[in-house]
Amino acid sequence: MPLRNPESRRRRTEGVFAVAEIALPNDPHAGLVARAARGDESAFTDLYDLLAPLVYGVIARVVRDPSMAEEVTQEVFVELWRTAPRYDLERGSVRSWATTVAHRRAVDRVRSEQAARDRHDRDGRQTITANHDLVAHEVESNIDRTRVRRALESLSATQREAVELAYFGGHTYREVAVLLGVPEGTVKTRIRDGMIRLRDELGGEQ
Amino acid sequence: MNASDLHHLSAAYALDAVDTDEREAFEEHLASCEVCRADVAGFQSASATLGASLAMAPAPSLRAEVLAKISATRQDAPVTGPSVVSLDAVRKRRRVAWTAGLAGAAAAAVAAVISISALDRGPSTDPFAVDLATVMEQSDSEVLDLAVQGDAPGEFRVAWSNSLGRAVLIGENLPPAPDGKAYELWLITPDESMAMYVLDPAEDGDVHVSLDAPAAPSAWAITVEPAEGSATATGEIIFVSNVTA
Repeated sequence: MPLRNPESRRRRTEGVFAVAEIALPNDPHAGLVARAARGDESAFTDLYDLLAPLVYGVIARVVRDPSMAEEVTQEVFVELWRTAPRYDLERGSVRSWATTVAHRRAVDRVRSEQAARDRHDRDGRQTITANHDLVAHEVESNIDRTRVRRALESLSATQREAVELAYFGGHTYREVAVLLGVPEGTVKTRIRDGMIRLRDELGGEQ
Repeated sequence: MNASDLHHLSAAYALDAVDTDEREAFEEHLASCEVCRADVAGFQSASATLGASLAMAPAPSLRAEVLAKISATRQDAPVTGPSVVSLDAVRKRRRVAWTAGLAGAAAAAVAAVISISALDRGPSTDPFAVDLATVMEQSDSEVLDLAVQGDAPGEFRVAWSNSLGRAVLIGENLPPAPDGKAYELWLITPDESMAMYVLDPAEDGDVHVSLDAPAAPSAWAITVEPAEGSATATGEIIFVSNVTA
């Protein structure tokens, strides 16, 4: 291996790179969150515009009721605003953070409101219509849709069913087990195997 | 619920498919389990992509309502203290994934040692293979892929053990340095940048280097420097990654 006199190459130098100066490739939205964290409402307005379709879309899918979806969307944005000073990139991208909070609050809402009933097959489902005034998001979302569809297709039918009932349906794995009539342990395994596959297929990042 | 049960909940947790008690138990477990934290980060990112496929614009009137609400909401105080270092989860996930890859490389290196040995050249003929295997055997060994800056070709992974004070660097698909230039590897601590090596890729673009790591790195970087090497980094940083605390 052609290396040049390695030991003599190792000389110490002062502060050539302060570590803080090493700018790693960053989430494009992280700067907005940093400004919002300092109370900058106009930065948060930009974040709202970027994230609202994402947040609302997830919530609407899980809660299904449009007015409830709007209420939960408001709660989620207030939570994002409130917790922006504690946002940490370690938790993932800004989009991932917002989506994760949105899904959890949606699930919390349906579980507290509808604890005793099986939402899946009750009531007429209300139709939620999309607004088509955000072309950029539509395009982005189409790309996401294609990727997600392909990724879901790579799962076995039983894995896909379990993951979809859990995520899109907002069900616990125990509820999924009841809905599918299979043991809880089987559902946990299907969810885990399915998510490992999805993580690999989706490259782990939005 | 025991720890093994909890380990298996990371995917269900990332889908919010656990009940409240399990969520609390799992979050308690998460605070002390790095494996599950990395799992959850990867699964949450995947589930967030599932969510992104549902994107739908809300009614325009919602915007003003949200903005009025946040105007009247006090924000949480930031977390203070040294742990605020932001390191993105992508690197953490990659680190986990690449550990497996490098373990494979270590196995291949061990196989190389064995085949060299079969040729009666002795098992220690290839110091790189021995170093790689030795570093990987350490309980504190760490593996990091270096994040490319811009569109530089090539890939680098570095593995090291702070207790052993040794590191190995594997590069692939690296083109020859521009005329009059060379690639140089830097070990960076909070206090200083140490010039470690001038890298000279083989014809096939591979770089295999083993070296002393005299301090615990907080980052690794590769720059383009004058061909004779430089004691101070003057050139473009083409690869760099921070080490997670």
